[in-house]
Amino acid sequence: MSAELSTQGLVLTATGLSAGYDRRAIVSAIDVQASPGKVVSIVGPNGSGKSTLLKSLVGVVRVLDGHVTVGDVDTTNMASEEIAKIGIGYVPQVEDVFPPLSVKENLEIGGYLLARREIPDRIEAVLEFFPRLKGMMTRKAGKLSGGERKMLAMGRVLMLSPSVLVLDEPTANLAPMVATQLLEEYIRGFADHGSTVLLVEQRAKAALRISDWTYVLGGGRIVLSGAPRDLEQNPAFVESFLGGGAAPPPSSD
Amino acid sequence: MSSFGFGLMTAAVLAIATVGFTMQFAVTNVLNLAYGSIMINSAFVAYYANAHGVTAWASLPFGVATGAAASWALNRFVFTPFQRRNPAPITVVIVALGVDLIGTFGLQAIVGGSYVSYHQSQGHEYHIVGMFLSGLQLIILAICAVVLVTIHWLLRYTRLGKAMRATSANPNLARNSGVKTQFIISTTWLISGALCGLAGVVFAMNTGVFEATSAQLYIVLLLAAMFLGGPGEPYGAMFGALVIGLSTEISAAYVNPQYKEVIAFVALLGMLTFRPYGIFGSEKTL
Repeated sequence: MSAELSTQGLVLTATGLSAGYDRRAIVSAIDVQASPGKVVSIVGPNGSGKSTLLKSLVGVVRVLDGHVTVGDVDTTNMASEEIAKIGIGYVPQVEDVFPPLSVKENLEIGGYLLARREIPDRIEAVLEFFPRLKGMMTRKAGKLSGGERKMLAMGRVLMLSPSVLVLDEPTANLAPMVATQLLEEYIRGFADHGSTVLLVEQRAKAALRISDWTYVLGGGRIVLSGAPRDLEQNPAFVESFLGGGAAPPPSSD
Repeated sequence: MSSFGFGLMTAAVLAIATVGFTMQFAVTNVLNLAYGSIMINSAFVAYYANAHGVTAWASLPFGVATGAAASWALNRFVFTPFQRRNPAPITVVIVALGVDLIGTFGLQAIVGGSYVSYHQSQGHEYHIVGMFLSGLQLIILAICAVVLVTIHWLLRYTRLGKAMRATSANPNLARNSGVKTQFIISTTWLISGALCGLAGVVFAMNTGVFEATSAQLYIVLLLAAMFLGGPGEPYGAMFGALVIGLSTEISAAYVNPQYKEVIAFVALLGMLTFRPYGIFGSEKTL
């Protein structure tokens, strides 16, 4: 990773968190923590509230109870734009880029909070990290392939050197090889360079391979948590999320 | 060729109005049917400045300021409170229609139903490629060109314009990127309102005489031009304004001029039926 993109992560903590829409809680009594240099993943079946949980951490969905802190700052129900200023980079599962804007313009919007003179250098740093984007700076984001689009989405949040990266199913709709590269090369790489990474992922096996800690969400609550190595010894977890087969050994990262 | 000249003038005024209208729709998602009433109110404010000794051109900023202030206030005190309640889109349209009627007939109650005009010379007449255009009309065409180039520059090359386009495309993602979308939306209302006020004054200058209800049917031309080019597409709006402006005026040479707005109606219905995203648009984007 380029030196300019390395960031010292902050601890993100949610305590007793309930969140949802129209005062109806989708997730309840959630306690999660993500620390610098670690990848923390959240897995669970469809409809278990994974995306709602992430959205509540970044100010998109209202927190009904409990607290969210980033470092020493209480960010509970803070406006999304203020949370971005603190250094939380959020990549949603869908609608993660601005389709009518060019690749360059998407990156410029990613650096909206930077001084104008800093933006060209930041774009260079992002392009060094995602060189595939170099040749498509004037192409509209809506015309990119799934993998390119996801790289742009991540490049957009990297423009601000976020301390905490919150990623909602970054490998959704990607080809297996691209998904593996994204998880093992890029996302693990962010954490290895000091960032805090909180990840929701449908591909449980792949998520476990790059994670330091994993939470299992079911029915809007945390039903299980632990180091991947321990979870892979849990028969109920293996049956539900790893297809009952033998799990590959966790990454030595 | 004289119809072409009339059409060009109608298109120029319409282009200023439609670009503001569609830009505001793209960023705020409000179909502001009160646009025509703000135009004519702005024209009247400029008229009163003109009547009190200010030259017609110097009174133009009064109209622009009126349009900007009225649009900003309309968003701040009417549309924003309504939108907080997550209303059905039709509710917002009905509110806008109500504001339009209040704006138009409230103005009529104040200024009466008489026709007025600016104290302004039409200037020399010029013969250009078969068209007879007055000095005033050439200035209006120049204003239109400057406005369109400025809007292009704003949207493509400025931080504000890019933030407006990002907010239009995906407001949640824009906020997650640190864009203060409420500020961007308020600024968009100010800019589109300024264009509305400008369009109102040049519309009144171009028609020569006007009264409180003169712009009441203008919303049909605006909607036709916007849907022809593509809702939320400023470049589509320029194209739509040119086509609607020229076609309505040229058709007046062949059919009863009283029916010239019918062309706009037909274009509007045709686009809504067969291609609601317009010629340039594929989705509501700036």
